Amino acid sequence: MESLSSLLHLTPEPFWMIVKVCIVFLGPLTLAALLTWAERRGSAMIQDRIGPNRALLFGRWRLLGLPQLAADGIKFFLKEDLVPADASRALFWLAPVMAFVPAVMGFAVIPFGRSFAQGGHLYHLSLLDPGNGMGMLYPMAIGAVAVYGILTASWSSNNKWAILGGMRSASQMVSYEIAMGLAVAAIFMRTGGYDPQQIIAAQGVWNVLPQFPGFLVFSTCMFAETNRLPFDFAEGESEIVAGFHTEYGSMKFALLQLSEYLHLVTAAALIVTLYFGGWRIPGLAEPPVLLSVAAFAVKLVFFCWVFIWVRWTIPRFRFDQLMFLGWKVMLPLGLANLLLQAGLMHGGA
Amino acid sequence: MAVLVKKVELNWLDRTYVWPVLMGMVITMRHFIRQITTRSSRRFTIPYPDRKRATAPGYRGLHELKRFQDGSIKCVACFMCAEACPARCITIEAEEYGDINKTQGFEEKRPSVFKIDMLRCIYCAMCEEACPKDAIWLRTDYEQASYDRLAMKFGKWDLMNTYADQDGKPRITVDPTPAVPRPPVEG
Repeated sequence: MESLSSLLHLTPEPFWMIVKVCIVFLGPLTLAALLTWAERRGSAMIQDRIGPNRALLFGRWRLLGLPQLAADGIKFFLKEDLVPADASRALFWLAPVMAFVPAVMGFAVIPFGRSFAQGGHLYHLSLLDPGNGMGMLYPMAIGAVAVYGILTASWSSNNKWAILGGMRSASQMVSYEIAMGLAVAAIFMRTGGYDPQQIIAAQGVWNVLPQFPGFLVFSTCMFAETNRLPFDFAEGESEIVAGFHTEYGSMKFALLQLSEYLHLVTAAALIVTLYFGGWRIPGLAEPPVLLSVAAFAVKLVFFCWVFIWVRWTIPRFRFDQLMFLGWKVMLPLGLANLLLQAGLMHGGA
Repeated sequence: MAVLVKKVELNWLDRTYVWPVLMGMVITMRHFIRQITTRSSRRFTIPYPDRKRATAPGYRGLHELKRFQDGSIKCVACFMCAEACPARCITIEAEEYGDINKTQGFEEKRPSVFKIDMLRCIYCAMCEEACPKDAIWLRTDYEQASYDRLAMKFGKWDLMNTYADQDGKPRITVDPTPAVPRPPVEG
């Protein structure tokens, strides 16, 4: 590490920071791009179809349809950039950025591997070092900001479908955030802190076992927060055309879509960190650093796949069902979980 | 008539919603694994331009005008097909021809023009049914497309050669016997 950083005439700290920024920025971005492929091919397999396989790399290699990603990217870049005449131009341009920036920020606090010491330095594998004072509150807050991107997009488009989608998305996020907060609060309580490193360190037994109701609540809320099926009301195709991105095309649409997948990656990372022990491997107290990163990556990819898997299993809810589930099921369940954990702690368990 | 809607009573396990979702996920995963482990040639979807589906026996595809071994057309220009055609897409002009050749024996007529407008044809195979000489067949080819309407009017030689390559027959563009009226029999 030190020889590498001295090669670049840097002290280890900034060098390590740059490396981490690259990993944290490009890693989820790449994963999100791959997820669009996994979603299309995976859904095809689930529905006994074949999926996109016509795009060829250099006209020769099919590569299981992966060149479709490049083809889509090129297409998005080259398409005409259309802004509706009655749209609010500035906001219309700003909205994809407002959706994208929080989406890439969310991953910053999540540890993707075990911290290790080398040459007198302690290296942490998360962009924000532990003890930064924000801890797991940070991704929650950033996740809450994400709704503004969707709201701005829908409002500035000046389109009734978009407005409906944005409104649905906003009310859905607000109502599910409460239950999500309760589920996370139970974890904070059991851990005695809200730093992700602390939370992971405290998971000798993965949180999913002692806090199963909390896990149910949290993962359900993650589906709602990321606007994924069965809760994708922001863009219910059969009801409101394409919801908040009805008027979006070309690269702006791609940004909105990409930020949705980034949210998905962040949500999966949150589930892994909070309930599945982050980088921990059962039976291995101190796994080698690379192995811990691999463990985290495997869990992350698995939960990303679960998001896709569930999407192609369950049909969409009705909006009143969504609200019913959010306020009358998830909220009491989250409260009950909180009380249960509090009772267990009081009882000394 | 009123339709009786049967109310389904869900048991407590189903009412949790979690269990049915998990069961559903098992089903989708089963499909996923089955599809991903099936070879491409055995999947339901046929990747069409790469692989073509074999047509069923009795399939009514592109027409062929049959010929004898020496290349003379089997059609005797009797107009039965043109009469039978519900789409009225067959145009025939008959001609007499000169020598009596070995395959057609004493036949004296054949089409000089045999046109089928493929844009009008409905592939009903009525012509095939009507033909007394078994001279027109509807066979397996189903890929007819062209850049202009005129190319969809198939003439006699187009129709005689539609399956020539497929059957390994030579493509022919002339009748083996010339179309010369027989000289009147003297005395």
